[in-house]
Amino acid sequence: MSAERITRREMLKRLIVAPIGAAVLTTLEVRQASAATMQPYYAPYFVAVLWEGRTRCDSLWRSLKGDVVAILPTVQGTTPYDRLYWTGYALGSAPVNVNMRVLARAVDHNGVPLGNGWRAIGQATIQTPPQRWFRVEIPEGHWDEYRLEVRSATPRLVYSRVIASQGYWKE
Amino acid sequence: MPVRFLKNASELADVSWETPLPVQVTNAKPVPADTLLVATTFVTTDANRDLLGSAATELPTLDGCMQYRKLVWFYFRAGADSTNYRVLARATDHNGAPLGAGWQELATGTLPGNANSWNRIEIPSTGDGYYDQYRIEVQRTAGSNYLLTSKIVGVR
Repeated sequence: MSAERITRREMLKRLIVAPIGAAVLTTLEVRQASAATMQPYYAPYFVAVLWEGRTRCDSLWRSLKGDVVAILPTVQGTTPYDRLYWTGYALGSAPVNVNMRVLARAVDHNGVPLGNGWRAIGQATIQTPPQRWFRVEIPEGHWDEYRLEVRSATPRLVYSRVIASQGYWKE
Repeated sequence: MPVRFLKNASELADVSWETPLPVQVTNAKPVPADTLLVATTFVTTDANRDLLGSAATELPTLDGCMQYRKLVWFYFRAGADSTNYRVLARATDHNGAPLGAGWQELATGTLPGNANSWNRIEIPSTGDGYYDQYRIEVQRTAGSNYLLTSKIVGVR
């Protein structure tokens, strides 16, 4: 897993060239954590939005959705995706110093996890100047559920979007 | 003169940034991933037991896998007891009969992970799969029996 600092201009450029397309972005209907539910909106594309929203970071490990309940996933239905990308923007005038970690697990045919707990895929600290975009790439794909957690000693508001890409082949 | 196109089957729209020409990626398809197996295995010292509990060495654990470039084996092991694993593969003819007896060994070693840990093994670890059948065996070499819960996803 690697974190990458990008400028706002670069972020806009990536959003525009991404397969999801600007037209689709303006017609997002729901904020939904289930990839399976989101999939129909993005059926012709190889990139799906799994989650977007804001997170109030504090000293506790919180999911991007805000909860501190360790058994809950942040996103689910992610089996088809071989890579996830988390792009964010932290508000506030102080330099950003946010801890993050990514957890994953597999489920059975009924959606029940195969076991307790999570696999820790990676952990990192996001350190950027204030009001700067950041991006985290999660290369370990095909897990069914992921939990993305953040923590910050200084309370901070983070806006973020998690997208996932499927590989594709040409015929 | 503006370029126009039929939008939503009934509306005629000018091409602009807001209403770009609809396009489609040609000759490409997204790669789906399919769940091939979910199983719980009681890991013992028995030799040649596969994830389905079978010791019949000519039986595959997974069949009809030719379309998958890679298999991802996710597992949760309840015990840390030392365990060996083997991943075997082979091809079949048009009737589904193996081309020959036995298997090609793709991987072998000590099963990674501690008690109550999540793990993942990619099959094959490098290169592409596209074998027709796979057999995955586990054998405990020390300690006590324990439960191994596995899920195998095929990636095209």
